[in-house]
Amino acid sequence: MHVVNSPSRQIPLVALLVTSALALSACSSGSAGVPGAAPSPSGATSGAGGGLASVYANAPVAAVADLLPGSTMEKIKKRGKLIVAEALDAPLLSQQDPTNPANVDGFDADLAKMLAIYILGKPNVEIVPPASETREALLGNGTVDVVFNTYTITVERAAQVDFAGPYFASGLAVAVKADNTAIHGISDLGGKTVIVGANTPAVTEVPKQQPTATIISFGTDPEAVQALTQGRGDAYVQDFTLLASDAASNKAIKVVGQPFTTEPYGIGLKHGDTQFKTFVNGWLKKIEADGSWAKIWTATLGTAVTSSVPTPPAIGSVPGS
Amino acid sequence: MGIFVSDVGSLLAALGTTITMAVIAGIGSIVLGVVITAARISPIPVLRGAALVYVQFFVNVPLLVLLVVAVFALPDAGLMMPLTPTAVIVLTFYEAAYTAEAIRSGVNTVSAGQIEASRALGFTLLQTLRLVVVPQALRAAVQPIGNVMIALTMNTALAAAVGVVELTSSANKLNLVQAQPILIFSVTGAVYMALALAIGLGAGRIERRVAIKR
Repeated sequence: MHVVNSPSRQIPLVALLVTSALALSACSSGSAGVPGAAPSPSGATSGAGGGLASVYANAPVAAVADLLPGSTMEKIKKRGKLIVAEALDAPLLSQQDPTNPANVDGFDADLAKMLAIYILGKPNVEIVPPASETREALLGNGTVDVVFNTYTITVERAAQVDFAGPYFASGLAVAVKADNTAIHGISDLGGKTVIVGANTPAVTEVPKQQPTATIISFGTDPEAVQALTQGRGDAYVQDFTLLASDAASNKAIKVVGQPFTTEPYGIGLKHGDTQFKTFVNGWLKKIEADGSWAKIWTATLGTAVTSSVPTPPAIGSVPGS
Repeated sequence: MGIFVSDVGSLLAALGTTITMAVIAGIGSIVLGVVITAARISPIPVLRGAALVYVQFFVNVPLLVLLVVAVFALPDAGLMMPLTPTAVIVLTFYEAAYTAEAIRSGVNTVSAGQIEASRALGFTLLQTLRLVVVPQALRAAVQPIGNVMIALTMNTALAAAVGVVELTSSANKLNLVQAQPILIFSVTGAVYMALALAIGLGAGRIERRVAIKR
């Protein structure tokens, strides 16, 4: 019932123009990916605890002859950076350092830097942030060169993308509240409410093994842990290593039993790019043979578990790779 | 299209959840919106202030923040409800701010003379609101409320982030197995579009039926 006078009516319009101008300029620079996570030449010197500096310094570099003319690796070399789809919020695997956003560390992130060194001679990685829902599309339309995103190799996915590797085999395990003595593993989850991470293999694996379990999924690992401690579910099913790391930092939860699946993680590549796949597989064999794979595992995933360095799975050993 | 057939049961159940959430939160937010508008135009300063603060708060805080707070922070304060009701309640409170603004625009179409006339006839405040202002305001605000309802339906997708198994989360899950994001999310988008279209057309019909011919 108030009459709006014209000067005050113009303010929102001006504000709108300013914001949209800002949004547009943000978009044009947005192709560079995450603010601060774009090309990080500092990665070599300030990597995970500095412990990997020597690994980066001695990392294998591909011979010029291997960068075949017209190939994907030659294009990456010319561009001067490797564009990787990887998470920023996966502890131990690929996590952005909150105190230094230019640093993204973890098993996946460090391997991506190693691949960048192999092609470019320096760890120039541009990160396109997590996109589990659209990984296949990002590879298909050429937005990213490779996907390092705990990308489980499956036959269905192999129809859409090519997988180099597997470069790591992990498995799903069960975590419960520390005071829970009734659940000892996946076999005790029938009829229970089970928390899983959205877009993780657990979303499909738990119903397969326990059809009567109720599944609730949360977007991130911290949310899922919070939900477990608050009692929204009886158990949390997630990658064993990640759970071990959660349990190490949070006394309210514990991991029960051994991993009950084997998840072979592969490096996602554009479908049909056989040249690049052969090239990446060749690189994997080299870093596995010279011990840098083991050093990266020890500096990242190895910090959460007591077991010794695992043997990497054989390249091409699973259907779809 | 074969990939949708194998999961048709869970997809339909998830669509049902989306529609249920939208319907309950929609009705709730219209009712709450009327109450807020009534407070907003009332002659009592405290009520006017409270309604203004309410609207400003919910219009300016992102829905996702509200959802995450309600799902993860309230249990620490000793208040824990199941996920879907929590999401519906948050959606209701959030969208009520927008419906209130839509209804207030309708109120502005009721001429001041009518209110003065009702006062002259000895109507109380509640009578003026109930018999004169609100019926006309709602009729004038059908389309804007319809737009808010469309936004509400789209906003139910955010509940996927806090563990509610609705259409978006179900599509995500299907994609995890089938690895066909463009097809799956296009079809899901088309379903949301159909819902929006149904609400829009419905609002158009209602508006034509209740319009006041002047």
